[in-house]
Amino acid sequence: MTRQKYIFCYIMLAPALLVTAALGIYPMLYSLWMSFVQFDLLRVNQFGTPFVGLDNYIAVFADSRFLQTVTNTVLFTAISVAGVLIFGLLLSQILNANFRGRNVVRMLVSVPWFVPPAVASAIWMWMLNTDRSPINFLLQDMGLITSNIRFLTDSTTWGPFSIPMFSIIAVRVWNGLPFAIIFILAALQSIPASLYEAAEVDGATLWQKFWYVTLPQLRPVLAILSILLIIGGLGSFEINYIMTGGGPQNLTNIMAVYSYQQAFSFFRFDLASAASGVIFILTGFVSVFYLRSQFKKAA
Amino acid sequence: MKFTTSTAVRRKVLRGAFSALSVAALMSSSVLGANAQDITFWTQPQGDLLAYQGLFDELKSEFRNQSGINVSVEVINWSVAFNTWLTVAQGGAAPDCGDMYWLHSLSGIGAGKFGPMPITEYKDQWPTLEEDFYPGILADVNWNGEFYGIPWRADIRPMLYRTDYVAEAGFDHPAQTWDEIVEQGLAMTQRDANGNVTRWGFAPGNNNPAQTLLPYYWQAGGAMMTEDGKTATIDNEAMRTALKFLQDLVHVHKITSPEIFEKSADPFVEFTSGTLAMMGSGGNAYPVTLDRDYPEMDGTWSLALNPEGPENRDSYSGSGYWGVLYGARDVDACIEWIKFLSTPENMQRISETTGAVSPRRSVMESEAWTVRPWQPIMADALNYGHTSQHPTSVWSALAAVDPGGVLYDLVYNTVIGGADIDAEIATAQARMQTELDRASAN
Repeated sequence: MTRQKYIFCYIMLAPALLVTAALGIYPMLYSLWMSFVQFDLLRVNQFGTPFVGLDNYIAVFADSRFLQTVTNTVLFTAISVAGVLIFGLLLSQILNANFRGRNVVRMLVSVPWFVPPAVASAIWMWMLNTDRSPINFLLQDMGLITSNIRFLTDSTTWGPFSIPMFSIIAVRVWNGLPFAIIFILAALQSIPASLYEAAEVDGATLWQKFWYVTLPQLRPVLAILSILLIIGGLGSFEINYIMTGGGPQNLTNIMAVYSYQQAFSFFRFDLASAASGVIFILTGFVSVFYLRSQFKKAA
Repeated sequence: MKFTTSTAVRRKVLRGAFSALSVAALMSSSVLGANAQDITFWTQPQGDLLAYQGLFDELKSEFRNQSGINVSVEVINWSVAFNTWLTVAQGGAAPDCGDMYWLHSLSGIGAGKFGPMPITEYKDQWPTLEEDFYPGILADVNWNGEFYGIPWRADIRPMLYRTDYVAEAGFDHPAQTWDEIVEQGLAMTQRDANGNVTRWGFAPGNNNPAQTLLPYYWQAGGAMMTEDGKTATIDNEAMRTALKFLQDLVHVHKITSPEIFEKSADPFVEFTSGTLAMMGSGGNAYPVTLDRDYPEMDGTWSLALNPEGPENRDSYSGSGYWGVLYGARDVDACIEWIKFLSTPENMQRISETTGAVSPRRSVMESEAWTVRPWQPIMADALNYGHTSQHPTSVWSALAAVDPGGVLYDLVYNTVIGGADIDAEIATAQARMQTELDRASAN
């Protein structure tokens, strides 16, 4: 590429880079800096922001609520990513088949993607309300339950698991599914038909075709998709914040919600930044794999 | 088209002159923009947004004609209001004056440099302030011995109840005491054949544990902290009495839903859908909403003073106030504007347009506040108003609606979790003291 073309490329990229730097990188670095100073909103105008080293990180890790949110975040992310991938694989197989009304079904499956998480949360809050949930009405009518399931408020636990946690995960899966389906569907359509024809000639069953042809062909896409979903899951905020606010009894609290509460409810921007710093480290770790795969692809 | 060199030069000169003129025009306009007789005012909408904006258009126009001062009014959406004022208190972009709330926390954050500015030296501009306004509300605009502004809307919370359910249960009056809450709540709670509750008798407040606790604690004779805001005073008999009463509502009498403090719970929605009979400390916007959005419920609900506890029948009250901010370009002009807004006539107009409860006695005693049966009760409740603000900048963190908040944990763990009240109070007392120390280090 000539020098002029390089310059042209940089000029074209400059606006996007500037916006990313101003609205993404600068706040991220500023937040990271805040995690190493004392930034108590009630004292900052009086005492400034003295450097405190790792004190904020030590403070958040000494908080049992934060440790619980770390566990919750990891479980929430792992289960919802697994759910999205499994259901995404199943549904995209169906949507890849030729049948009448396929386009309508494809459109319907994409609907959750058009619903912003905040709106989805409000809808599901109503759907999962103990006394008004149509799901409870349906289950009672079918004689499957006698008392209402407390989808968002039952504090009974099985280890780190609870009904509210599963409810929130279900909403996350519902909301994230179309993204996965579109990804996988595109990959499915790029698998050469000749591979399936060869498998058929060899007498492969439907399952064997899926296991030995489809899955290996989808592996690169599934890997990228998993990484993107993990990054999104670790930084997830809206659904948990709106639907439960982390409750009941911190059972659905995740790190981003904890961070928000520290900053805007308790005015401790330093502790909030330390909690965000932990999210940053975790997502950064996952992002390395993503970037490596992207660089490999580019090479 | 081809240009000669002289044309290009001429064009450059013209372009340069135009740029210079533009810069000069911009500079002069910014100088004009900083005219001492221009002030900026931020407010949050009350009632119908268009009606609110229309009213302020009228008010600022009348004020300009009367004083020559031009007020630029900006209406901030409630969804961003808190973060906006938080930014203001931290030294971010700020108006000259505004319609504010949470004086103590925002003043503490501003630390005398940003945010709400005391206007004690102007207090004599309202010589009959104490007689004209309800005392519980005035407590919201005074802190650390300083006066900060004029309250214009009151958040008073009497009890909301279903008259039809009360009559159906055989009572001729709403609950007047804590014992009657239990008696009537038991009579009005209904269950289906499987034991699922189809109607709860009583919700003690909204889904905010701290806000719910406060009136019961006051009614039991308690106070959260000393008057200087430096010492926590919650480890006492009043707190035990209040928490035991609330805990029993859930676990012993079973007339209150164990979900009341969850984010998905909304007692007002329960009330309007007929699955809740009584709601203590109902928000002051509820009657207006019921009148406007639920005409089919007319005649089936009313307000009552909060039932009396062992010591009194204090009601939760808060307020929004008009005040001046540090950095105001023209404090005198702001005071003039606030004086203009706070005349009895203008406060009457504002209350009538927005439906907001006014902290000014003359408004609440006016004919406009006797049209609906619940309105005089709202006015009466103001006499029992107890400020929900406390003399410490960390108050809103103490009373935060999130798990981890000192009062949230205290109330949730005892009332819902059924935890030992004495142990929880001792923990909360220690935690609250730590927070007060954090704030009083200022």
